[in-house]
Amino acid sequence: MTTSGWVFMIASWLVILALFGYCFVRSLREKD
Amino acid sequence: MARERWGSRLGVILAVAGSAIGLGNFLRFPGQAMRNGGGAFMIPYFVSLVLLGLPLMWIEWTVGRLGGGFGHSTAPGMFHTLWNKNRFIKYFGVIGIFGPVAIFIYYTYIESWLLGYSYFAITGKYAACTTEASVKAFLNGYRGLAQNEYFSSLLTAYVFFLITFAANVAVVCAGIQKGIERVCKYGLAMLFLFGAVLVVRVFLLGTPDPALPDRSVEQGLGSLWNPRWSELGSARVWLAAAGQIFFTLSVGIGVILTYASYLTPKDDVALSGLTAASANEVAEVILGGSIVIPAAVAFFGVAATKEIATRGTFDLGAVAMPLLLNKIPLGGVFGFMWFALLFLAGVTSSISLAQPAVAFLEDEFNFSRRKSAAVFAVVTFVLCQPVIFFLGHGVLDELDFWAGNFFLVVFATIETILFGWVFGIDKAWTELHVGSDITIPRVYRFIIKYVTPLFLLIILGAWVTQEALPVLLMRKMAGTENEPVPATDIWYVRGTRAVLVLLFAVLAFAVWRVWRRRRLRGGTP
Repeated sequence: MTTSGWVFMIASWLVILALFGYCFVRSLREKD
Repeated sequence: MARERWGSRLGVILAVAGSAIGLGNFLRFPGQAMRNGGGAFMIPYFVSLVLLGLPLMWIEWTVGRLGGGFGHSTAPGMFHTLWNKNRFIKYFGVIGIFGPVAIFIYYTYIESWLLGYSYFAITGKYAACTTEASVKAFLNGYRGLAQNEYFSSLLTAYVFFLITFAANVAVVCAGIQKGIERVCKYGLAMLFLFGAVLVVRVFLLGTPDPALPDRSVEQGLGSLWNPRWSELGSARVWLAAAGQIFFTLSVGIGVILTYASYLTPKDDVALSGLTAASANEVAEVILGGSIVIPAAVAFFGVAATKEIATRGTFDLGAVAMPLLLNKIPLGGVFGFMWFALLFLAGVTSSISLAQPAVAFLEDEFNFSRRKSAAVFAVVTFVLCQPVIFFLGHGVLDELDFWAGNFFLVVFATIETILFGWVFGIDKAWTELHVGSDITIPRVYRFIIKYVTPLFLLIILGAWVTQEALPVLLMRKMAGTENEPVPATDIWYVRGTRAVLVLLFAVLAFAVWRVWRRRRLRGGTP
């Protein structure tokens, strides 16, 4: 895999994990 | 009768995420990315998520919750709520019941194959298939497309279909909290666990045959992620990315409307919608992008994997995966995890497809849940039979094309215009933020009103000219690149269309009758 391939993969993973992590934790914290 | 509600906030998020996470996350997405620019595909993919996917998610959550406040769980009543001066709009809402029912008819059968394959994996039934030809023969024998040494009839497939169908009906019959919410909570937990284990196992494959260094997991990831910038200028790549975002999020079907209708009027929809969408992205990009393509390339090479993927993404999962899993230690266990993962992804989606029709009968005809589920089960069971017995004659592809693709885009376009223009963006924006735990950036007012409808109209226009017209006029067969309809299958295709028209007409008549009865009683429809 080329360097730009790794960059795309890791950047995509980080963006998605950060979004999911933020939303999930925030959803659990807020009241039902 | 008190309206059903979700048991917890996490429950509804997981139910919507479960509906969105389907076979497409693990089979369609990697195939699309590989064929359309590799890593560069992620640029139009994320642009489509921001401009199309998230706005549609928020629209459906908001309209669903609003409709639920008026006692409606399905699109006819919700559309009427948004535009009560128009007496025809409720008939456009029929698509929100018709689409899920038509998809359920073939999706349940495909789902049952995965249950069957989970069983075959753990019992070693396909372990003797060591060539691509033998794995294909196994699959064709199982589906009744050929009689061979593996299967002499459709009996095995039919038994797994009956189990899958009964399981779906039982979950829906058990209700929102005790059925759908519970299954999605445990089902998604297992799905993510199996997915994580498989990703680790695939990454550990490395280069299975040192004599063939170009067949490695790294090469597989490269075929998926190395950006091919020149392809970004192609409209095809942008349409493929928009289509993938659209289909992966379960928007435009009507199921999110129904699920959101069980929220209370003060429940948050903005953060919950975003959480469900991001959970789907984890399953798609991180898990889905790291299993089937890297594993297939490690064993078969880039060219052969591309060739398998172009024949249909299902072949990647049901032909390539059994073949390569047979070559590794504990292949049966990993094979079970793979097919169980796909089955769980399927079942959490198919129960959501059943719910709109069941909810329609409950709300508008005052049927009990059990009676609604029974009527749904009888009708869909009968409609499933042509899909099972006429497989290979274009019935499944025809259903998928119209109900699973075309009407989704039509429905989403209608609801977006209704929300942003007829209901009005000011009221819509206020409604979206009732009880909200986050504030959505104001730029989304502009996006929801102008960009998303325009985006959808472009997709719809491209679809009609490139796909729908040639398929409608039978110049090409649904689900193929450009193959004509074989003369022997023309009547099967026509018959499928007749059934779809009849199904739509029956649902439209039911809506007409409900509204007429209410009007005669002097109530507010």
